[in-house]
Amino acid sequence: MPWVLFAKLGSVEIPSAGMQFLFTLGGVPVALALLIDRRFHLEKSGRGIFYGLMVGILSAIGTLALFVAYRAGGSASVITTATSLYPMVTVILAVAILRERLTIVQIVGLGFATAAFVIFSL
Amino acid sequence: MHLPPWMLPAAFVLLARGIVGIFQKLSTNYISAESTLVWLIVGFLLFEPFVYPGHDLFQYSGRNVLWDLLSGLFSNLGALALFAAFKNGGKASIVCPMTALYPLGVVLLAPLVLHETITRLQGVGDLLRSDSGRAALYVRHLGSGKRVQRVSV
Repeated sequence: MPWVLFAKLGSVEIPSAGMQFLFTLGGVPVALALLIDRRFHLEKSGRGIFYGLMVGILSAIGTLALFVAYRAGGSASVITTATSLYPMVTVILAVAILRERLTIVQIVGLGFATAAFVIFSL
Repeated sequence: MHLPPWMLPAAFVLLARGIVGIFQKLSTNYISAESTLVWLIVGFLLFEPFVYPGHDLFQYSGRNVLWDLLSGLFSNLGALALFAAFKNGGKASIVCPMTALYPLGVVLLAPLVLHETITRLQGVGDLLRSDSGRAALYVRHLGSGKRVQRVSV
């Protein structure tokens, strides 16, 4: 959660592309620490690596879009809350692709989330 | 209806991150949470040449650069915890909605730290959001009866 506040503070001066560049550099120490902890040994599953890379690439695209949204002038609290409704998409895809089951209560939750997104756009 | 200028990129964020949730789960099915985070950061690094700000990088104030570096640091620490949840058997349809409740903290802190104001209508929207997240925390044991268990936040 603190990362959002830091991002909003930085976006006052730094454009979206610069934000993305620095944001990524901020994550490098975490990756290095993990690599050192694991003695530079990572699993060699091709699928796992592909999915992990896709997580990074899509996250980078999403983060860049988030910084564009912050720079567009909206308040951090509104934009952060509106964009954090992404689990709606995840839940729908999880049901369709991963064959996870959705309960009625969870479907109701999706309805609430949709209503929230509409309200935030007002 | 006139949409605010942040709405389109925000919708793009929803789509990209929604798909990411599936890839996160798939990745942790094959490799550890730590490895997933390393590859995530490699994926981010692939974008660096395209977003390199050039000499402007040295014009930014040190304080704002620090804010952004810290943003990346904390975000990835959070991602590591998320992957650990997936690795420990968490379902994408449960873990993603639960971890997406973090804006409640942002909404509480933004007026204090960033001096932002939240309208009543947006407050209602946030409450609805949190309710949707809580609703997703109701886990129904489909195979073992009709009991519904609520997981406290």
